[in-house]
Amino acid sequence: MKKGLVLFSLLLIVSLLFAGCNSSKPAGQGGSSGGQTAAPSQGSDKLEELKIGAVGSLSGGGTAWGVATQRGVQIAIDEIMAAGGLKVGDKTYKPVMVMYDDQYTGQGGTTAATRLVNEDKVKFVIGPIGSPAVLGVKSVTEPNNVIMLSDGFSPKIITKDSKYNFRVSLTTAEFAPPITKWVKQKYPDAKTVGMISPSDEIGQTIVPILVKAYEDAGFKVVFNEHYERGAKDFVPLLTRMLAAKVDVFDVNSNAPGDAGLLVKQIKQLGFKGVIIQTGGPGIDEVINVAGPLAEGFLSYDIFDPNDPGAQKFVNAYRAKYSSGAINAYAPIMYNATNLLFEAMRRSKSIEVDKVRDAIQGLNGYGTMFGPVKWSGKKDYGVDHQLLVDLYVSEVKGGKINPIARVKQ
Amino acid sequence: MLNPMMLAQMVINGFSMSAIYVLMALGFTLVFGIMRIVNFAHGELYMLGALGVYYLYGKLHLNYFAALGIAALGVAAFGVVLERLVYRPFYQKELQAMIATLGLSVATQHLGVILWGTEERSIQAPYSSVLQFSGLILPMDRLVVIVSAGVVMAAFYFLLQHTKIGLAMRVVAQDPEIAQAQGIRVKAIYLAALLTAVVLAALAGGLVGQVYSVSPFMGTLPMVKAFIVVILGGLGSIAGAVAGGFLLGMSESFLNTLFGAGVAEMAAFVVIILLLIWRPSGLLGRPEA
Repeated sequence: MKKGLVLFSLLLIVSLLFAGCNSSKPAGQGGSSGGQTAAPSQGSDKLEELKIGAVGSLSGGGTAWGVATQRGVQIAIDEIMAAGGLKVGDKTYKPVMVMYDDQYTGQGGTTAATRLVNEDKVKFVIGPIGSPAVLGVKSVTEPNNVIMLSDGFSPKIITKDSKYNFRVSLTTAEFAPPITKWVKQKYPDAKTVGMISPSDEIGQTIVPILVKAYEDAGFKVVFNEHYERGAKDFVPLLTRMLAAKVDVFDVNSNAPGDAGLLVKQIKQLGFKGVIIQTGGPGIDEVINVAGPLAEGFLSYDIFDPNDPGAQKFVNAYRAKYSSGAINAYAPIMYNATNLLFEAMRRSKSIEVDKVRDAIQGLNGYGTMFGPVKWSGKKDYGVDHQLLVDLYVSEVKGGKINPIARVKQ
Repeated sequence: MLNPMMLAQMVINGFSMSAIYVLMALGFTLVFGIMRIVNFAHGELYMLGALGVYYLYGKLHLNYFAALGIAALGVAAFGVVLERLVYRPFYQKELQAMIATLGLSVATQHLGVILWGTEERSIQAPYSSVLQFSGLILPMDRLVVIVSAGVVMAAFYFLLQHTKIGLAMRVVAQDPEIAQAQGIRVKAIYLAALLTAVVLAALAGGLVGQVYSVSPFMGTLPMVKAFIVVILGGLGSIAGAVAGGFLLGMSESFLNTLFGAGVAEMAAFVVIILLLIWRPSGLLGRPEA
């Protein structure tokens, strides 16, 4: 018996160690990170290094987003280095990414930010993605006067006291009004909406915003149910929803895997109306799970790889990483890094306060997502929310097909 | 809102949910009934079965049912290793076994994350059409689960009631010491029972995987449901697992459809608490001596 116990303990320890090694591995030190720094261009070794911090999930549920963050930042750095470095006033810098894994948790975000700020002496951070990790990073960067350009849906991420953090992706409050108006224009005969969402904080926070947006757009929300996250069989709830005669089914804040199951199960029950996800897009995974039943599924999308303005980024991405689908957070974080570099150029300084002021003054600067527009004063108390155009994609022939660009 | 058609649809939905719960609960209750081990790693064996089918059927394009069988045997082979390393020291030690299987569950789940990542995958159903009769709907992937669950239950019943090894399992479940005295090789029976449970879990995973999605975390909630089912039916009781599975599946279908998920969740637990106050050993469980 003793021998068995010892063997079991060993098995457990080896597994946990293995998991630990995987999750604590910083970017660029092996693994599939794609490398921490760009290949230096001629003479770049003489340039002064400028550390750009990055935080993202390189293990756990948000790994795809963390890898996208890493790749987006790296491509922006590669472009700067290909042009001879980052010219700020009289000096030229060589930006270098220093990235840590937040494990998609608040604690992970805090730990990553502490290392960046205290050990690496970083003054600028790109990322992370996901509210818990963003709030974890913010708890370190804000009091240390470090600029953060991040994602995250929580209203606590930018508040009237936020001096150094900016949100570079849209939240439901920004994308729900235009996308629900688009649905009404596209399907004028549709009158009723049904929603099924998780009962956790995400579902409880997002759904009221969406309900208001649908009602403002002229719809009536006739079915709005929550379920315990982890559930996989939605057939009873969907049967109930079909009895309420909905024209539009919005799978809103569901994780992509659950959204795929909802799409599959409602199609099996014979639903013929519009199915849309006005939440974090994960269309690939919906197609994976729902298979042919995903045909016609619509989703809010962040990025259109076929857009002419995106070609420079898309070509760079495909050349360096892969020819497959591009996670939407790669261009978002690429864009954020470029905004930071442009602010440094304009302020002719890498002093935090000057760069912060320059970021705030970037309104109208042309990016792959259109001209920069900072907003948020009304909802959050400070204009640190980036407004960008959004896209609607449709699944056609098993592929993601962007069908509309919705202007803000 | 309630009409005869909807009532019939709720019964059909309830059948498909019950079939899944029964499949999960049978192996779980067998291990407890014979070895007194609450096997919290049952959900991960289910996950391994589903991943096996994902690769064999989804990637190597074997026949679905052949893939299901091979995956179940593969997981059983892994079960032999686990039996030696983890389960054997904890036979008849309920509390220690709970902690050990909980650890095994966490370790296996994270091993799954390391090996396969967290992405949700899909096993394309071998029969993906939808049966419709008089407005009632039954997707074929769920019919496959219902029919397979029936076949598995019949085979399991035959094994327990009409074979020597089944008889030996029942004797060991009653009293391992007397069984030993009668010449039954108790350790061999433990291994046979554990492997039967592993095969049942892997089959359940492979069958349910084509209805839902497949990921290293897919076993967690079904494990909780299986636990509820066997507590409801009586820990260790095979007939209780079947009765508990049908009770939970049908009540979830009816309550979810009529009152929504929140009420259904609450009502299910209120009923379980009341039932356990009335019958602490569950519907068909043996009262503790």
